[in-house]
Amino acid sequence: MNDLLEQFLIECRELVEAATQDLLALEAAPDEKERIDSAFRGFHTLKGAAGIVEFPAMGQVMHAAEDVLASVRGGDRPVSADLIGDCLSCLDLLVQWLDAIAENGAIPVAPDEAVTSLVARLARSPADAGPEARVDDAGWLAGFLDRHRTLLRQARAAFRYVPDADCFFRGEDPLALVARVPGILALELSPREPWPPLEELNPFECNLIVTVLTASSPDETSAVLRSVSGQVAIHPLAESPAGDGDLSPDARKVLEEQSRLAANGAAEGFAGRLGSSGRVAINVLRHAGMAEAAETVSLALARSQSDNNSEAFLAALRTVLEPPAEATESGAAGDPLAAPRTRAARALRIDVERIDALVSLAGELTAVKNAVGHSAQRAREGVDPDSLARALKDQHALLDRLVAELRRAVLEIRVLPMRQTFQQFPRLVREMARDLGKPVRLTIEGETTEADKATVEALFEPLLHVLRNALDHGIESAADRLAADKPATATVVLRATREGDQVIVEVTDDGRGIDPAVIRRVAAERGVATEAALAEMPDAAVIELIFAPGFSTAAAVTGLSGRGVGMDAVRSAVARLGGRVTVSSQPGAGTSVRFILPFSVLMLRVMTVEVGGQVFGIPIDAVIETIRVPRDRISRAGAASVIVLRDRTLPLIPLADLLHLSEPGEANDGADARVVVVSAAGQTGALEVEKLGERMDVMLKPMEGLLSGATGLAGTTLLGDGRVLIVLDLQELLA
Amino acid sequence: MTVRLADDGAIMLEGNCPVEDAETLARFLLLDPSAAVDWRTCEKAHAAVIQILLTARPLMRGSPRSAFLRDWVTPVVSRSPAIQR
Repeated sequence: MNDLLEQFLIECRELVEAATQDLLALEAAPDEKERIDSAFRGFHTLKGAAGIVEFPAMGQVMHAAEDVLASVRGGDRPVSADLIGDCLSCLDLLVQWLDAIAENGAIPVAPDEAVTSLVARLARSPADAGPEARVDDAGWLAGFLDRHRTLLRQARAAFRYVPDADCFFRGEDPLALVARVPGILALELSPREPWPPLEELNPFECNLIVTVLTASSPDETSAVLRSVSGQVAIHPLAESPAGDGDLSPDARKVLEEQSRLAANGAAEGFAGRLGSSGRVAINVLRHAGMAEAAETVSLALARSQSDNNSEAFLAALRTVLEPPAEATESGAAGDPLAAPRTRAARALRIDVERIDALVSLAGELTAVKNAVGHSAQRAREGVDPDSLARALKDQHALLDRLVAELRRAVLEIRVLPMRQTFQQFPRLVREMARDLGKPVRLTIEGETTEADKATVEALFEPLLHVLRNALDHGIESAADRLAADKPATATVVLRATREGDQVIVEVTDDGRGIDPAVIRRVAAERGVATEAALAEMPDAAVIELIFAPGFSTAAAVTGLSGRGVGMDAVRSAVARLGGRVTVSSQPGAGTSVRFILPFSVLMLRVMTVEVGGQVFGIPIDAVIETIRVPRDRISRAGAASVIVLRDRTLPLIPLADLLHLSEPGEANDGADARVVVVSAAGQTGALEVEKLGERMDVMLKPMEGLLSGATGLAGTTLLGDGRVLIVLDLQELLA
Repeated sequence: MTVRLADDGAIMLEGNCPVEDAETLARFLLLDPSAAVDWRTCEKAHAAVIQILLTARPLMRGSPRSAFLRDWVTPVVSRSPAIQR
């Protein structure tokens, strides 16, 4: 991809983000003139950018949106949810194009249909666009398809029918009409406006939205619905959507490389190369969740190996590689499923100051390097060893400082504000709220709170899941809220704060809260715990059970959050970041889910200890103190040893036992026990070690491969003498 | 009338319930919000009627005769409001 396009992508993504924020803010406060101006400028700049890279379709769409905002600015058109929705759809389409450009390195061929319909919709004057006339709110489709994911294979069309409010007077019966559509796979009925209390409902005004997934073709469907075509949006669906197994660009590259290798049939070692290419390809496919494709390729590979000819294998690989190419095309044509907005931008924008700091550090390091060279020269000349040693010691000290600064500066580059992830949520929450028919306001606080890039980016999925849960289960319908004396619009707060070395991210809703009785019942039904155990648990502990594997109320009741992953997936995602999750709830008043994360996932301050002749690291934030305990102060309580420390009895656990390293009692005689008092997983304990080591900052490398599943180990790092330091995960060891 | 009160206080929806039934059904439900709705012999119900059921969320008794209502509308109508989407 050329530099111009790369720059274009980065700028467009930033403009899209800014414009999205402006539009959402505008929807909340339609009078904010600055927001209108800012959104208008955003679209205007995007239009200009389209001209620079010669992308007429994009220019056309941005121009249409710009026109709409201009008429809003001039007071000719009021801000409405539909208008905002239309402008957001423009941005959605643009994001899909941007993703396509990022993938293919070229401007996508203008998908006329999507552009024309969008432009037509935007150009439509408000007079002929009553609030209910607009049925094609693209927001509904993604959520709807997602809820009925399992049926997508058979589905050929999805439609949303928003009958006119006065259709009953015209003798129309929307449901009778829908009933005539053959091959219905799923049907949702939702209110256009939240259901009022029964006494306020006008029984002759239609407030229904019917959303249907059908196995009939779009043509068949539209034939049935012809009489109400203005009130229906039909979306054709590919006959066999890609489903879960979609190849990432990297996976594609690997597969293409394998087919290139295998194609080279004449060269030596062909059989071996074919075998290894095949294994790589199969693994890549399995990893991508394409079990079927992996199976096909593996059969083809076997055939190729017996023929000693790569033909069959290559053909199988080709079929795997080709279909996604079509998917990309349809993505460009405006299928909201094809290009998830969630994809994180790859480029990282860095503050110039931070780069400057690196540049000056590089300069200082060069100076030290020269000084060391000079010292080497002097050593060869045979100068006084004492003065040489002094000079070297100074230079070492200098280096030490510079390296520390360098490390800090580099890590700071990886630090991002939470905004990077948070800014995607107002949009997603808006859509979820619309799909659910529940009015929800999302408040974001502390978006400037910083954390490691890896943490900020990896928070998206778990936070989305928690937000989904909050909207789906936590928040009541508007009617229920009014009945409970709450404002109809629910509030969800997404908040980040920094507390020392920790970053706290919280999602708080003012919904119905979690009922411990319900959790007890469900946990018992699903065998998460026995009824007796559940009865004894305090309510707070019962609520934490929502994180237990196998506990997912979501999967059972609704489609929105029930995607087969429960809160246990959230917990493990956060644990992977070195954090933990807690939940608290006030029945009737709301639920709060807290992620407690380390500020930096990379740097860890550890204390080294030795047991059984091996060195281990203990994270310093778990260490309370280190003490020597005379043997006679260790008492026994049954099989365990305990020590009394400042009137507190602590269990004394030999670390060697915990790690199954040596027989207990070895080398214990006489000398004082060396003890590290630690606090982890909510408990305090004393670990007996053989030797206390030093404190150091380490770059922790997570456990990989075979060891990734090992419990109690947080990761490894290399020591100065080349030995591997294993850093313990006390949370897991003591839990 | 295709909508009527049964002796036990339940509201019966029977046969083909036209749009006019919506108002009657709403009135019955306002008079006795806890009344159950029995639609076991219902063959067809106008969207306006379904709309009343969705608003009031009464206890539904049995499942209706029509396949469309049974397969697609019953699950929506009988879902308790607590987990209503």
